[in-house]
Amino acid sequence: MIQNFISMNGFGLFVWSSFIVTFLSCACLYLKTYKTLKKSEREYAKEIQELPIERRKIILENSKIASQVLSSYNKVI
Amino acid sequence: MLNLLNNTIVFKWIDKLINFINSIFFVFLLAALSFALIFSPPDYLQSETVRIMYVHVPSAWIGLAAFSVIALLSILNFIFKMKYSNLITKSIAPLGLMFTCLAIVTGSIWAQPTWGTWWAWDARLTSMVILALFYILFIISNKMILEDDKANKVSSIIAIIGFINIPVIKYSVEWWNTLHQPASIKFLQSNSIHSSMMIPLLLMFLALLLYCALIFLMKYKTEIIKIKKKNLKRL
Repeated sequence: MIQNFISMNGFGLFVWSSFIVTFLSCACLYLKTYKTLKKSEREYAKEIQELPIERRKIILENSKIASQVLSSYNKVI
Repeated sequence: MLNLLNNTIVFKWIDKLINFINSIFFVFLLAALSFALIFSPPDYLQSETVRIMYVHVPSAWIGLAAFSVIALLSILNFIFKMKYSNLITKSIAPLGLMFTCLAIVTGSIWAQPTWGTWWAWDARLTSMVILALFYILFIISNKMILEDDKANKVSSIIAIIGFINIPVIKYSVEWWNTLHQPASIKFLQSNSIHSSMMIPLLLMFLALLLYCALIFLMKYKTEIIKIKKKNLKRL
């Protein structure tokens, strides 16, 4: 039964390769997108942390995005 | 309405949505794969190769839909100068390109046992290749042109010109004699596909749509952070 499932009536190569190509591409794009997101979050948080305290305070008070990114970055650390 | 597209509001919801999609995605994917590979019957003519349809057709649908959304947003951007449309189109384009390429590749794999050839310069296949080229042009123009406004304009023009190709793809099987079969699923007419194949097809489409939403949200978040980073440097 398992052999039949794998061979797909002699068309296993075509069927399996289609599914593998599709899900491998999806996984690659997911990983690339995730890595890029984390990298940009990290860089942005670092830039905020490097600012003088007064300026950082103003930015964090005015930008909810900045404070959110910084807090999630600090959680990771 | 436009206030809903405000980056700060959107940003607050992105993480929640990503977590929600992550929690349901694998359930949908598992169900879709089980139906596509195990429960759906083989075709009386194409035998087991019909299972390729469950990845090929949703990929083609997403490729076409993504470009249509990009083109419509580009038109709206030209008319109303929408602030966030470029962020959305930039986030959708890589997804659209990947699914268009997947439709071409899986179609080619399906063609070998069905038509006896990997490739034919048939109207449907050729128009899909043209769509992939428009995606590439759109992405390159956004990456290569450093000035934001100029990049936005050039990529919008490319998307609007490329939009002409969408009806050509859709009706290519009716306008020309092609190897590709006519559409089996019609939105306003009765379908020529049995429910035992329709259910896995829709399930797989739904699972891939969830995946698209996940990637789109992550890309959109990245784009917002990039803008914030630029603003930080300007201050």
